[in-house]
Amino acid sequence: MKVNLRTPLKSLALMGAALTLTAGMVTQSLASDWTPSRAVEFIAPANPGGGWDTLVRTAANVIRTENLADVNFAAINIPGGGGAVAWAQIARDSRNDHKLFATSPPIILVPLAGTSRFNHTDFTPVARLITDYSIVLVRNDSPHQSINDLFAAIAENPRLSVGGGSAAGSMDHISIAGAAAAAGINAASVNYIAFSGGGEAMTSLLGGHVEAVITGAGEATAQLQGGELRALGVSSPERIPGMDVPTYKEQGLDYTFDIWRGVMAPKDISEEALRYYEDLFARMMETDGWREATERLGWLDAYQNSEEFGAFLDAQLEQFRAVLGDLGLLRN
Amino acid sequence: MEALSNLMYGFSIALDPINLMYVFIGVFAGTIIGMLPGLGPMSALALMIPITFNLNPATGLILMAGVYYGAIFGGSTSSILLNAPGVAGTVATSFDGYPMAQKGMAGKALAIAAYASFVGGTISIIGLMFIAPLLSKVAVSFGPPEYFALMVLGLTAVVSLSDKSLVKGLIAAVVGMMISIVGMDLQTGTERYTFGSIEMLDGINFLVVALGIFALAEVFYMLLRGSKKVQKRNEIGSLKLSMGEVKEMAAPVARSSVLGFFTGVLPGAGATIGSFLGYSMEKRLAKDGDTFGKGNIKGVAAPESANNAACGGSFVPLLTLGVPGSGTTAVLLGALLVMGVTPGPMMIEQRPDVFWGVIASMYVGNIFLLILNLPLIPYIARILDAPRALLLSLILIFCMVGVYGLNFSSFDLVLLLVFGLIGLVMKLYGFPAAPMILGLILGALMEESMRRALQISGGDWSIFIDKPISLVLLIIAALSLGLPVVKKMIQKART
Repeated sequence: MKVNLRTPLKSLALMGAALTLTAGMVTQSLASDWTPSRAVEFIAPANPGGGWDTLVRTAANVIRTENLADVNFAAINIPGGGGAVAWAQIARDSRNDHKLFATSPPIILVPLAGTSRFNHTDFTPVARLITDYSIVLVRNDSPHQSINDLFAAIAENPRLSVGGGSAAGSMDHISIAGAAAAAGINAASVNYIAFSGGGEAMTSLLGGHVEAVITGAGEATAQLQGGELRALGVSSPERIPGMDVPTYKEQGLDYTFDIWRGVMAPKDISEEALRYYEDLFARMMETDGWREATERLGWLDAYQNSEEFGAFLDAQLEQFRAVLGDLGLLRN
Repeated sequence: MEALSNLMYGFSIALDPINLMYVFIGVFAGTIIGMLPGLGPMSALALMIPITFNLNPATGLILMAGVYYGAIFGGSTSSILLNAPGVAGTVATSFDGYPMAQKGMAGKALAIAAYASFVGGTISIIGLMFIAPLLSKVAVSFGPPEYFALMVLGLTAVVSLSDKSLVKGLIAAVVGMMISIVGMDLQTGTERYTFGSIEMLDGINFLVVALGIFALAEVFYMLLRGSKKVQKRNEIGSLKLSMGEVKEMAAPVARSSVLGFFTGVLPGAGATIGSFLGYSMEKRLAKDGDTFGKGNIKGVAAPESANNAACGGSFVPLLTLGVPGSGTTAVLLGALLVMGVTPGPMMIEQRPDVFWGVIASMYVGNIFLLILNLPLIPYIARILDAPRALLLSLILIFCMVGVYGLNFSSFDLVLLLVFGLIGLVMKLYGFPAAPMILGLILGALMEESMRRALQISGGDWSIFIDKPISLVLLIIAALSLGLPVVKKMIQKART
């Protein structure tokens, strides 16, 4: 039924579009000619040095060096509450066409954990830009050879510790717990040890204090080259180019996990501004400057426009809600 | 000898005129950033990232590292002159530096801080050069149980830091530990003591507390005393050190440098903890330990050499493991990644120019810092000549700007005021501030490490004594608490 309803609507919309086209190019060109009239605030809702901050500074730099915009994109850090402080500020600023911020799974996870009143529905998705994937590492001398070995060992011995670089209930934890659930063991039986950063988790693994570590594949590249660590599996749908690590799927585990990053704007920004930014980021990702940067940083392009990104976020919400529910960490 | 030829190679990079210029810019900017309370190297480095985009990676890191150790070097200035720590790592310097300045020995205190920083920095570079790859093994050997034991050992210093009343010292330490656990708990994701405020989710910034308890409380205290006492003109005093003083400080500086360096090597410890450990170690070892806190020259020399050595040490995990041990080194790591250098086990082989170039530049940078800072001391110390009303408002402004600059949050300003008032009450009723700061620094890390260790062991406490490093550290902690008591008992029995 839905399809039947939608099709006529769509053709109506098309007709409308055709009408505007014929009615006059004036409106058309006005719509696409919106450009920022002053510097755009590009917010990283965290301290310098992290993933959001790197995304903001890299994107702002590419936009500047490739002359993609007439105005400056100013990188601004608003740290606090795992993003919540910045979100609360941005939420007060709806309809501001000159404000953007970097975003990733915490925009969904933090509200679910009950520590932010605002979630992705309080903002306008602009575009998803890149993604990284989770990777599970063990020491070279570890007895576990595949991701299934590890989960079998966990099923047998729930004390087996898996370290991660973020708090309980946040990205790394969700990623490994979801994988465990997909492997048929209780998500809550993963003994997840939260460290205050991916680096600390990694040193703990190198020193033999934890059995395995879950981290971002990009972060793990240098460690894997070092030769003391070995990867059991990566959460991408297909093997990551240049990284000889089997996916979960190859190992019979029907599970993927994206550490995506994108850009959002305040709620109710003008349609013209949204189209402008959507297009700006799409063009940015075509430039050589961006390609060089992503190569250096180990990012994988994963562009989605505003609409696709919005639908993707809604789907993520449901996935995370389920895992957090299993873990008993759902508070909202 | 390989290290020497590597170092020669490093110098060939560091002495390149362009790099030489950037070392100078870096340490100069760092000194100034360090002198201003609150404004730390982390935000300064973040602002520099766009500049480094267009630099050769070795040059970029030389510049940024210069800002980092320059800030630690310069941070002692405001600790000594204003009782307001310039950066977190120089809090301990104010314990004896500020009393010295009040006694009219500001010049000497600043000179000692400069020399001690230079020695600490240089010793850590030597350590970096010869044993960096080896040390990465030390860094990884510290897991949750070992960190817990180290923090316990650190906390035993409460005894030596509480000057008159041990009970008051313990109370202050417990309050400090309570403040340290404000925020979201990592292990469970639960909020603790946040009263539902998102501003407190990340906990309370250490510098907000330190500036409140020390600088703001001092301002309030001076205001309370009012104009009853006409303050005598503050003398800067001579910068010269006597041979006797140099001899007296030589051993403490050497010990604290080594201790600081190893503390810096541990990711998660760093300059602040290093300087506290150095200070309390020297206080216990000194024959005149009871004059610490009242303007003892060793009380300035020990933390200053330790924090600068720790700063150098923190490059070990950053460069050899690709692991940042602090917020500042996290920014450095981010900047290196952007420049296309991946720090990690392969870095020395892949990018020897960056690795050895930076180490060599640190020698140069430390010499720059010394010749930059020493002649400036009389001029900077003249800030004490300013009329009292002006000086107090200046401290107030510095503190507020510094605190606001941490997170651009006006909420932090309210916290600063609250801690200023708490600090005043503590001062009026004889509660020592140092144990509270110690509890604040070590408390959260101790609690986190303990729970992490227990989670790994499945709740089995024997994990703390099964691990040799942890066991040794705990025994030293027990001895340092027990020995003075035993000593006293023996003395009593004899009489």
